[in-house]
Amino acid sequence: MDNFMQSFRRETARSVSLRRLLAVSALGLALSLINIAAFARATDKAAKPASTAKAASAAKSVENISAPVKTYGSKNAPITLEVFGDYECPSCGAFYETTLRQMINNEVAAGKVYIVHRDFPLTMHKYGYEAARWANAAASIGRFAEAESALYDNQNYWAESGNIEKYMAAALSPADMRRVKALMAGCDASVPPGSHSCPWDAYIEQDRALGNQIPVQATPTFLIYYKGQKFPAGQGVVSYTVLKQFFDQLLKQ
Amino acid sequence: MNAIAAVPAVVAAPSSGEKGVRIFVVIGRLVLAGIFLFASYSKMKPQIPVPWTVNSVETSLSMFAMQVDSYQMLPPSQVLRVAHFLPPFELFLGLWLLSGIAPRASTTLTLLVLTGFFALMIRTYALGLSINCGCFGTAEQVGPRKIFEDGSFFAFALLVTVGSYWLHRVKSRRIAAPPQPVS
Repeated sequence: MDNFMQSFRRETARSVSLRRLLAVSALGLALSLINIAAFARATDKAAKPASTAKAASAAKSVENISAPVKTYGSKNAPITLEVFGDYECPSCGAFYETTLRQMINNEVAAGKVYIVHRDFPLTMHKYGYEAARWANAAASIGRFAEAESALYDNQNYWAESGNIEKYMAAALSPADMRRVKALMAGCDASVPPGSHSCPWDAYIEQDRALGNQIPVQATPTFLIYYKGQKFPAGQGVVSYTVLKQFFDQLLKQ
Repeated sequence: MNAIAAVPAVVAAPSSGEKGVRIFVVIGRLVLAGIFLFASYSKMKPQIPVPWTVNSVETSLSMFAMQVDSYQMLPPSQVLRVAHFLPPFELFLGLWLLSGIAPRASTTLTLLVLTGFFALMIRTYALGLSINCGCFGTAEQVGPRKIFEDGSFFAFALLVTVGSYWLHRVKSRRIAAPPQPVS
């Protein structure tokens, strides 16, 4: 009889443990199912608005992108020319075509001048900000010179149509263009300036903030540094001959 | 023998109106001199903290050349000439106005120069150029405010010049027609 009772108790205890185990397992399973359902719902929700997905991808790409290098020449050059420009501004285009291009080919190549581009897109220009995004994306893969040249050379065309991509594609190799396009994820024309979804906006805004400190009243505005000394800001289109004469005068000192 | 005694020329005393104009012309000349001397100084002074040397003045004039060039009116070779001529000329004009020598000529030349500057401001604004004036070496953008400022200088110089000519005329008349003795 004792043996029977003991075995009964053992069996009962075992079944209670089993039931407890089952209950815990069921609870775990239910929680897992709820979790999976919630995750699936969240994923589904995230997949619906394209901009959110792009923002996520842009946020992911921010971790991987390199800072855009928008400079020409060596940092050790005695003269630094810092230019605040807007790719859609006609005076900036004229300044680039008539002065900066020659300066890059001669003084920068000779190690006398270091040119730094700063983005200062004006709100009055419809596509200026978008152009700056493309230039920054290209600059992050070391193709700033090509991008800037393409933007200023074709300013009249894309400023009319807004089709900046066409001229960027013509200036870059297919492989580079693919990389730049990937880096432009989250930077649709519809995305407002200063958006977090476009990784380049942070760099553009950083340049703008520097410009506001001067303050930049119009573009192009340029600053000249000689051996660490800053000259008062210049504004407007200055011809290559006159700018070169000033630099030669500085180098004589 | 009748000896003719040397009679000193008697010139009528200037009227109170003439005195007032004379004071205005003198003060006006000094103000215009101050404007030109300051304009010249601001263009020639070293633009970075370095001592005054021939080289530093050369550098400042080259910097001023960039401002002249931004008006997009002259070819680069002319820009460099104008930039190296204008500040020393402003210095000369300022000193001339200050000296009081040949006031009609100095004020007339000042008026011509200020007319040129005023016209240049209007042209620049009409063309829509967003540039620095370069007038006093600071970053003053060409716009309605600058046009008003230059217009005021022009109007002031016009008054001073007219005053100089008027004074000369009145003085000449007084000398030519000495006062009649009172019986």
